[in-house]
This record gives sequence, structure tokens and C-alpha cells, in this order.
Amino acid sequence: MIVLEAKGIKKRFGGVIAVSDGNLKCQAGKITGLLGANGSGKSTISKIICGVHSADAGEIIFNGRTVRYKNPHEARQDGIAMVFQNLSLVADLTVWQNIVLGIEENKGFFLNNKTAKDLSKEIVDKLLPGLDINKKIFDLNSGEMQIVEIAKALSARPKLLILDEPTAALEQTQVKSLFNYMRTLVETGIAIIFTSHRLWEAMEICDDVVIFRNGESVVSIDFDKECKDPEKIVNYITGEVEKIRVDKNHTKITDETVLSIEDLNYGEFLKDVSFKLKKGEILGIGGLAGQGQRELMLALAGNYAGVRCDAELNGKKIKLNKPSNVIRNGILLVPGDKQLEGLFLKHSVFINMIFPKLGLSRQPVFTPNKKYRKESKNIIDLLSIKTQNIDVPVSTLSGGNQQKVVVGKWLPFDTNIWLLADPAKGIDIGAKMELYQYIVNQVKEKNISVILYASDNEELIEHCDRLLIMYEGQIVATLEGDNINDDVITATSLRVR
Amino acid sequence: MKKNSNALGISNLKKFILKPEFSIVIMLVIMLVIAAVLQKNFFEIKSVVRNINAYAPLILLTMGQAVVIISGGLDLSAGTSLSLLTCVLATVMKRNDPVTGIYAILITFAVAVFIGVINGIGIGYLRIPPVIASFATSFIWLGVALFLRPTPGGESVGWFKSFYNISDVAGVPVFLKTFGTFVPPALILVICGCIVWFIMSKTRTGRYIYAVGSNSDSAYMSGINTAKAQMVACIINAFFIFLAALFFVGQNQSGDARLGDPLTLRAIAAAVVGGIALSGGRGSVYFALIGALILSLVSKIIFFANIPNAYQTLVSGVIVIIAIAGSMIYTFYSKRTLLKGEKKIT
Amino acid sequence: MNSSISRKNSTTYKIYDRYKKLIIAFLLIIFLFVLGEIIVSNFLSLGQILLTIKLASFIALFGLCQMVVIASGNSSLDLSVGYTATMTAVFTASIMDGKNENLWMAVLIAIGLGVAVGFVNGVLTSYFRLPALVVTLAMANILQGIINVYTAGRNITGKPSPILRIMAAKSTSIFPNILFILIIGATIVMIILYKTKWGLMLFGVGSNETTAYLSGVNVKLVRCIAFIIGGVIASLIGLLLIGNMGIAFKDMGSNYVLPSIAAVVIGGVSLSGGDGNYIGVILGAIFLQTLSNLLVALGWGDAGKWLGYGTLLFILLIIYVGNRRNR
Repeated sequence: MIVLEAKGIKKRFGGVIAVSDGNLKCQAGKITGLLGANGSGKSTISKIICGVHSADAGEIIFNGRTVRYKNPHEARQDGIAMVFQNLSLVADLTVWQNIVLGIEENKGFFLNNKTAKDLSKEIVDKLLPGLDINKKIFDLNSGEMQIVEIAKALSARPKLLILDEPTAALEQTQVKSLFNYMRTLVETGIAIIFTSHRLWEAMEICDDVVIFRNGESVVSIDFDKECKDPEKIVNYITGEVEKIRVDKNHTKITDETVLSIEDLNYGEFLKDVSFKLKKGEILGIGGLAGQGQRELMLALAGNYAGVRCDAELNGKKIKLNKPSNVIRNGILLVPGDKQLEGLFLKHSVFINMIFPKLGLSRQPVFTPNKKYRKESKNIIDLLSIKTQNIDVPVSTLSGGNQQKVVVGKWLPFDTNIWLLADPAKGIDIGAKMELYQYIVNQVKEKNISVILYASDNEELIEHCDRLLIMYEGQIVATLEGDNINDDVITATSLRVR
Repeated sequence: MKKNSNALGISNLKKFILKPEFSIVIMLVIMLVIAAVLQKNFFEIKSVVRNINAYAPLILLTMGQAVVIISGGLDLSAGTSLSLLTCVLATVMKRNDPVTGIYAILITFAVAVFIGVINGIGIGYLRIPPVIASFATSFIWLGVALFLRPTPGGESVGWFKSFYNISDVAGVPVFLKTFGTFVPPALILVICGCIVWFIMSKTRTGRYIYAVGSNSDSAYMSGINTAKAQMVACIINAFFIFLAALFFVGQNQSGDARLGDPLTLRAIAAAVVGGIALSGGRGSVYFALIGALILSLVSKIIFFANIPNAYQTLVSGVIVIIAIAGSMIYTFYSKRTLLKGEKKIT
Repeated sequence: MNSSISRKNSTTYKIYDRYKKLIIAFLLIIFLFVLGEIIVSNFLSLGQILLTIKLASFIALFGLCQMVVIASGNSSLDLSVGYTATMTAVFTASIMDGKNENLWMAVLIAIGLGVAVGFVNGVLTSYFRLPALVVTLAMANILQGIINVYTAGRNITGKPSPILRIMAAKSTSIFPNILFILIIGATIVMIILYKTKWGLMLFGVGSNETTAYLSGVNVKLVRCIAFIIGGVIASLIGLLLIGNMGIAFKDMGSNYVLPSIAAVVIGGVSLSGGDGNYIGVILGAIFLQTLSNLLVALGWGDAGKWLGYGTLLFILLIIYVGNRRNR
């Protein structure tokens, strides 16, 4: 029996279309998997279903009624619960207090703690026996926190449970436990939507999968009826179109190592990352989103004071603990995510564009406004940044144009090494090409070495000489030459091969 | 604290020692010992009563402040609220008419609730940063207090003294007077406050106050009405301040618009010493009470060390900084700061 | 949580938007003067206006301290400006002793005190990450304590140097001299903030500390220096205060703290940082002083002043800062 049906869902955030045509069906007692690359829309549609976002168009039918939730709490009360990746737990309360948060029962005037604890214990014992429900959240590790998140979703006895990448923080044994529990859950008639980037997990636990690509749900595969063919699934995820290979034209890459990174470690995010960057090369960082690529770029740019690493620049040891250290050594981060680095939203485009100059070199006391204004206008022309003039607040620009400002402000500098962290994210095709053309030109003319991370594989394929694939904070593959193509990238990213 | 069975006694004891509450208790014990050494008759009934009377106002204000801080706010208007309430009491009461005492209490209570509501609206519904919202309101209360009592004064009915010293009141049965010498009214007020908080903490809203202070986004996502929780916290704080006002007017029989000024910062510091984290969501109101005791004892010890009066303010300020700095350093090193979604750049 | 982002994709950005808050502040002042004239005759006389501006200048100068600290971001405020000024006035009174010879010494002491206070405030808020309001409030307490110790059992003797008297209390033709000081100060400040790299750094740090940090700016140092500058300016104002009053007394500066913050809010300068339009602060100061005069003319006295300031600040906070319903 169909518990949930999503029809024709559309959703955009600012200038970016997250979901262009989302359709899926879930049945009671079955586990439906959502697969797809990041940005394909699977996360967004899950959040729409459980009330975090609201769809721009389309409808959601839950148990026969059309529904539209204003917030996750409404959805939870109706019977749809989602387990979040970004923790929605309250750190200072205990496990059981979090599990019943928002739906506590009263005994007369006061809270009924006994029923709350009993309920919590019952759920927790099935997920992770031995977890002390009286512990405070800040005393737990991330795997345990994820379990509590799941328990919290379950405490409202939902009819539809959405698990968004629940296994990301779990170890193997915990994953097995979770899967067993999921099977018992569906036997009671609950429907589950399950997303994971680990393909084999989806194939193991799901009864059917819906594959998303570019905001569309392209196909739904029922594993009862069809056999599980990983190659076919990978094809659906990446699209079967044969990509036209572009000849790379770039400088001759010498064997000279310009940057050597050894055993880079940072908390849970990066483990034993080691590689060498050769002069004049464009080294790509790829893999599925969220595997540590952004963190690696940030670490190389000196953002993490606590990073541990042996780094050598042209044979000389350098420390990566402060941005100013890194910048002064000629390593520049061109960030792609304006959320990440941010902009001075209240300030003008001009101010934003010239600010990086402050960190780099000896600046004259009185800012040479005339000269800087000319430079800024050049960059704006180069990247086709649409703005009324350079004095309007940057907050009046659209998302894509803000992105161009974030990238553009770093371009005018002489530097040895560029760290490009998804510079073209959110930028339209035309400007994207111009940006990359500019980068390639700079590399040729000035012999800059580049580390390029892009969430769009096309960009990586097009421009990289070598490509490192990251998975869960480690480098798992190095691709060169002909191996840099969509299939191999996707396969190594998904850890199928 | 959990009740332990004997077998687990030792490991639970070890866990208790590592908690911050333990060091607070130790600090209290140390202060008591030093105070007892400096003042021979420290533990005699008369001086205990005198001390309780001296410390009660700070204790009450600290407990109220603790509730607000736990909910994620801060009340810089506590001192002027207290002053205002004393002025209202002293203005409504007329010396010769005992009934005005009742009116005074009712009206002042209403004013206290109003104060709590205004602060709560500012912090909870309008989401003005609590520090500056209460900073602004503190001047509103000051202005009204000065309006009522440009200079300290006003009137109080005779029986009102029972909030301070029952023996002084005419027409009270003897047994009550004897009771009052052992159990000062100030203590009763504190117990009253404790009871109110005790009841509150067992309700849904009581827990929500903690949740909102710890992570208001998560609380909101769980369907909690964060504005209401913060409002309730402000009203509870106002109630504690109300109790302190009763005490002061009982003691002085007058209202003073500048009475509470020094108490605001001390209450905040005492709460911090008592384990309340300024970032919210954490700490026990009862331990905040202990914090107030510790701070008061420190002042007393300094007094006994014969530091001249002129230095009192100075030392008080320095103690505040040390107390708050210590607490922040402690919180900084604990894991929970990472969970609050603070983007730590370094 | 509803993510339908309604973004104001304004394609035009008029002059009006940019100076909106300044215009509002200016209109408010006009409104008050008109109201005053209606209620109390002679409110709009030249003498009254000049007197208002003279008194407002002091508020505006304190407002400058606040503005620099506030602009550095992280919800910083400085509640110790009042007692910093008082402390300087009290300490330098006997040194100056009514003569000009030792003025340079007084100025040096003032700067030294300002640096010391600002340094402590700056280090505790910036490096120890303690909340600015609590730190500066405690600092105000400490300074008050120091003043108490210093003046315990002794009268504050000493008069300001005649130069200071001229600067602060006297006028040239009809214009109060302090107005000129304010204008000069304001010009210097605006040039530094808007035309030099330091201003740029300050605004960046206050606007988005992550962005600034990632551009290699030492955020903590900038914030610390902001407090030091605020402290030095407050301290120097102390000299002007004693120049104006002729003597120093214990509570000289504490009445200026709230107005200094209110002036910043009225002037439209953002309390979260990154903004520094001093003209707005000056207008805010004039508005506050005018309001104060009006309340005095109405016979409301001290009580009315605080009530008025507090209510005004609260209402403005609601309008400018409140974040209702953005979830």
C-alpha cells in the first residue's frame, strides 16, 4: 500500500534549481533508497517531505491526503520523521530527554519521566544496546549521537521514517545493528526512505531505489522485480551520455615538486592525507561530496589551527596553522562556497573586492582608491559580474554573482600555488568557461601550480592532469591520463571497484 | 545526585568528583572554614542569622539570574528592577493603614510580572540580544523608580517588618517570635523561591528552559516554543527579585532607586561561580545559590582581612572578572561548545 | 525553517537607501525641535540650539569611543568609558593645578590610562573571549573602586589647565569651542575609517570575522586595538570634562554611558559591527540632548531622562535590531 507519493516536486534556492522534477513512491513495509550524486536533489526532496523546506511546485500525498508542512515538528506529529545529519540534539540534555523532546508526556502537572525513560530505553536497546540513556549528549561520540537522532525520530512512532545518510557516522557493527533494526521496523508496517552514498549499502537493505540526477528522479528500480546490477545503477547516476573528451592544453609538467604534503590529519575529517603537487600541474581533488575535500582545501589554506601535517613548499618546511602564514608563502585559496568564506554583505562590491589585499602585502595607509577601482572593474568585466555599479552592497547581487565576487577578489594576485575550492559552484556555464580559461591562461603564463576541487566532475575531467579521489577523509585513488573519465571517477567514488 | 548501590559506589563517587559541582562544594567548604577561623563565633545562632540576612538578597537575585542565564539570556536590569520594586512598595504603603501593605504586595507583584514580561518579550519574541535589551530596560526601571522616589524614602506598614525581623513586629505571638530568631524570614523567602523553582523544574517548560538555552535552533526544530520558554524564565527571575524587594523594604521601611545597582553584576558573577554557564543551557539553580554564598563569604573574609571600605568595590570588580574568566576557560575546554554550532575558525 | 528565501533582488539602489538611517535621525531631531517649540516657547532659540549642540558634543565624543568598539564586531560594547574619563579627570586634576605647564604630563597620563584600560578590556574580550558587556561592566566597577580608594578621605583638588577650559567650556563668538573639536575629530575619524586601510580592516573584522580572518587579517588584534583606541579617546574626553566643569568629581562620566550607546543606535550604526558612520552618531547625540532638554523643560527631571532614554533605546532596538519571525 502506498504510504507516500511525491509528484512533480520543484524547488529552487535563489538562483540554483535543486529539484526540477521529483517523483517517488513509498510503500508500507518497504525500504526505498534514494541514490544520486550530491546536488542531484535527493537530500532536498527528503527535506521537503519532512517539512524542513516547502516545495515551490508539486504535491506530496501522505496516506491519501495532500500535505504541506511548515516545519519538521508538524510533520512529526503527522507521522513523518526524519533523522538529520546536522545534529538536532540539545547538547546539555540527556539521551532520554532528547529522545522525547517536544513530545513529552505529563503526569498531572509534572513531567512523566518514567514513561519517557522507559520508551527511550526500549528504542535505544534495539539500536545500540548498552548505551546509557542518562548520559548527556556532549559526552557521546558522533556514532552514538547519530543513534540518538534515530531514536528521537522513532519516539513519535512515525509511519514514514526518512534516514538521510545515517551510516556516515557509524562503524560497521553499528551499521549492521541499524539494518537489523530497520528490517524489524518495516515488519511493523512502517515505510522507510533511506539515502546513502555507499552503493552496496543501498543494494543490501533497500527494496527499491529511486535514482536522482540533476534534480530529476530519472528512474525507479524495484529490486523484487529486477536484479541488482551495480554498473547499471552507476550509469543511471552519472548519465549514459558519452562525454566528449577535450584535449588538455597546458604547460609541460616538470618533475619538480612544489608542494609536498605528508600525513595530514585533522580530527575526524582528514586522515593520513599525503600527496605531492608538481610545478605547473593542475591536481584535482574529487570524489563524492562531503568526503573531506573541502576540509582538505581549508586545511591547506591554513584555516585549521589544530591540523597536524608535514608540509614542505619548494623543499622548505611550512606551517599550516594560520591563514596569514599560508598566504605569505604564496598559497592562495580561491573559495567556491560563499557560505564558507562569506562576504561582507553590508559592504559594497568594491570593498569586498579589495579586502584581500590587506592580508597580502604592505599596503599604503591611504587606500589608492582610484587604482583599486579600476582593477575591480576589470575583474567584474572579466567574470561578467552583473551589478549596477561597484558601490552597491554586495547583498543586492544574485547568488551566482556573489559567488563570482568571492572568486574574483582573489584573482589579481601573484602567487605560486592556487587552491581552488569549487570556484565555479553556482556560476552559469558561460562565466564558468571564462573563469577556467582565465585560470588556465594564468597557469601557462605564470607557471602557477593548482590544486582544484570541483563538485562537478566535468570540470575535473576537463582540466586536471591528475585526480585524487577522496573517500571518508582519505585519498583512495589516484587517476591519471585516460582514467580520468566519468565512469572511473564515479566508480571509485562510490567504492564499487 | 543519583542514589548508588554500594557495589557501584566507588565508580559513581569518582564520576561525582570530576563534575564541576564538586569543586563548587569544595570552595564553599573552604570559605566556611576560613570564615569560621577568622570569626570565632561564626557558627553561633546570632551571627548565622545575621549572615543569612546579609546574604539573602544576593542569593535571591542570583537564583533568578541563574534561571535567565540558563534560558540563554542575561538580565542586566536585575538591580534596577529590585530598586523599582522597593520604590513601588514604599509608595503604595501608608504607615498608618495596615491594609495598604496587602495592596502594596499585590501591586508590586503585578509590576514584577510586568517587568518579566517586558524583558521576556524583548529577548524571546523580538529576539533583541539579551544583554542590550536588559541594558535598555534597566534605565526604564531606573527612570520610573526615580519618578516614584527621587530620594530614598516612602512609608511602610508595621507588620511589613516581618519580612526582615519578626521580633520587631508588635502583636505577634511569642512562639512565632522565638521561631523568627532561629529561622529568619530571609531564609523563608529563599526557601519559598527554591520551592517555586523546584516545581517549575519538574514541568515541561522547566526542561524547555534548559533546551532553549543549550541550543535554541534544535529546540525550535523539536517544536518547542522558544519565545515562551524565555519569557517564563524572565518572569521567574522577576519573582525572585520581588522576594528580595520584600526583604529590603522589610529591613529599611523605604524604597531606594539606587539600591540594587551593585547587585546586578554580583548576581551574575555569583551565578557563574555557582556553575551556571553564560552561554546557557547548563547549571543548577541550587548551585547558583551556593555560588552566592561563596561570593558573600569571600566579601566577608576580605572584610575581616581589614581591607578598608574604599577597596570593597575594587575587589568586588576584580573577583567578578576572575570568576567569569575562570568559568569561560572551563567551558572553552569542554566538548559542548563544539556542538552549539559555533563556527570555530581556530 | 522555511527556506523560501525572499531575497530583495533590488535592481536599483538609490541614494535614499544608503543614507536612510541618517535621514531618519535628522528628521527626528527636527521633529523634537518643533515639538519643543510647541510645548515650550523659546525652545527654538539660537542660544538654546547652540547650548544643545555644546552638550551634545560630549555625548558625541563618548559615542565615538563606543562606535569604534562596536564597529569591531562580536557584539562588543564598552561600558567603562564613563569611569575611564572620570578616572583621568580625577588623577590629572592635581597635576594640572590650574596651570598650562603640566598639561603635557596630564595628556600623557591620560593616554597611558586609556591604553591600560583598553588593553585589559581588549585582551579579555578578544583573546579570552569573555562577553564584552560583562568585562567592561566589571572594569567600570574596578575603576570606580580605584577612584574610591584614591579619593577616600581626601578632596579632589586641582583645576584644569586654562587651555582645557578654553577648549571645553568657552566659545568663539557664538560657537562653542568644543563644537570645533568635534568637527575636527569627526573629520579625522571619517577619513581614517573610510579612506585608510585601518578603517577597512576594522569594518571587515566587524562585518564578518571569518572572511576577514581568511584574508589574513589578525582579527583578535584588531579587536583589541579597537578597545585601546576607545579607552584612549574616553580618557582624553576626561580632560575635556574637567575643562568644562572646572573641577573633577567622582561621578563625572557615568551619566554618559547610556547616551553614548543610544547615540550609536539612533545614528543607525549597526550594533553587530562593520559599520561606522560617525555623522549618524553625532546626529544621534544631538537628538538625545534635545530630548533631554525637552524632558527638563517639561519638568520631568532626572527620572524622565532615564525613562525617556531607556524607552527610546528599547524601541529603537526593536526596530533596528529585532529579528522577529525570521524562522
